[in-house]
Amino acid sequence: MQKALFQLLAIVAIFLTLWLGLSQINWRKKLKIDQLNQNSEEKIGDLFWKSISNSEKEITTKKAIQPLDTLMQVICKANKIEFKKLKIHLIDKDEINAFALPNNHLVIYTGLITNCDNEAALLGVLGHELAHIEKKHIFKKLVKEIGLATLISMTTNGNSSSAISQALQILTSSSYDRSLETEADLASVDYLIKAQINPEPFADFLYQMSNADSNMPQQIYWISTHPESKKRAEAIVDYIKNKTIIKNKILTPDNWLSFKNAAKSTAEETVD
Amino acid sequence: MNNIQEFTYKPTDHESERASNSYLMSLIAIMAGLPLPIINLIATLIFFLGNRKGTHFVRWHCTQALLSQLSLLIINSVGFWWTIAVLLHSDQVTSNYVAYIITLIIFNIAEFATTIYSAIAVRKGKHIQWWFYGTITNLICRS
Repeated sequence: MQKALFQLLAIVAIFLTLWLGLSQINWRKKLKIDQLNQNSEEKIGDLFWKSISNSEKEITTKKAIQPLDTLMQVICKANKIEFKKLKIHLIDKDEINAFALPNNHLVIYTGLITNCDNEAALLGVLGHELAHIEKKHIFKKLVKEIGLATLISMTTNGNSSSAISQALQILTSSSYDRSLETEADLASVDYLIKAQINPEPFADFLYQMSNADSNMPQQIYWISTHPESKKRAEAIVDYIKNKTIIKNKILTPDNWLSFKNAAKSTAEETVD
Repeated sequence: MNNIQEFTYKPTDHESERASNSYLMSLIAIMAGLPLPIINLIATLIFFLGNRKGTHFVRWHCTQALLSQLSLLIINSVGFWWTIAVLLHSDQVTSNYVAYIITLIIFNIAEFATTIYSAIAVRKGKHIQWWFYGTITNLICRS
């Protein structure tokens, strides 16, 4: 019996030594796994955007795009985020929604802009989505929700339109894990503080939206897909309690109004 | 990892064939049952149960063939479910995972080669005793 035990221990020791020894090698780097992920992310992101751009109208007018770029540039510069890598798309839709897609696509609906009282509230929401991009939450969520195998098959099989719409549905109308949402909220607050923007309006926006008229829930996508908005607003207020906040503005009040009007008029033109 | 020893008696040609088949059974099941690691264990177990009342030589080798599947069952099950977690959930492909899969493949190849070698040697009437599994089989399978 003693002999058998000794031999068993020897086998276990050989197994563990081999395993632990081999795990000292950086296989992720050797097998270029990160690069593969990056390639898949790029392909999937572009597939998603292609699918959205086929069904929605993208606004490209300078009047609406330039102020949006200016706002995002300030946030990116203050937080050392490369602005050029972002692919910002403004979609003509009255839903209050914004979402991030793989490969740094940031999609914003005009409904969000027209319903924000000020630039700080808008930047809070955009900062939240930017945090999902920066912290690589999007791919994590997709892998968790629909699986790595389906994602890879999407990149290799261009005809998987049902899988693409299912994945898009997940990204545009469901929230991330609570921990990821909280992380994105607080990261957004940090982005705003570093850019010398007051984060309080972001919390106010969450409060307002959670108390919004009950007969328009379908339009408040961003809030309905991000539940517990009141708690999130409270968490933000609590987070900034002891922080020094400089309340600068990026756009002049006139520019902000004209930006809102540009978004609004595009929406109205489409309705007409 | 294994050695040829003298058995208590010289097995007949029929006994050698049946004993050799127990190893072949696990090989066929490995090929048919991949990637589900439980299949080869079940196949070997069925063969083992069918030969419970066989001669000592046949029982001894059926037992060794069955026991040799147990460690692979554990190693392969962990690898199988880990892979499923990587494919379906949020588990990342880490260096630990890749190292585990390589170790698993090495152990499977070693087991596969040893099983083929044993099947051939036992068919010739030689008594092959594996490291650890042979010792355990000696404790279980008494004449």
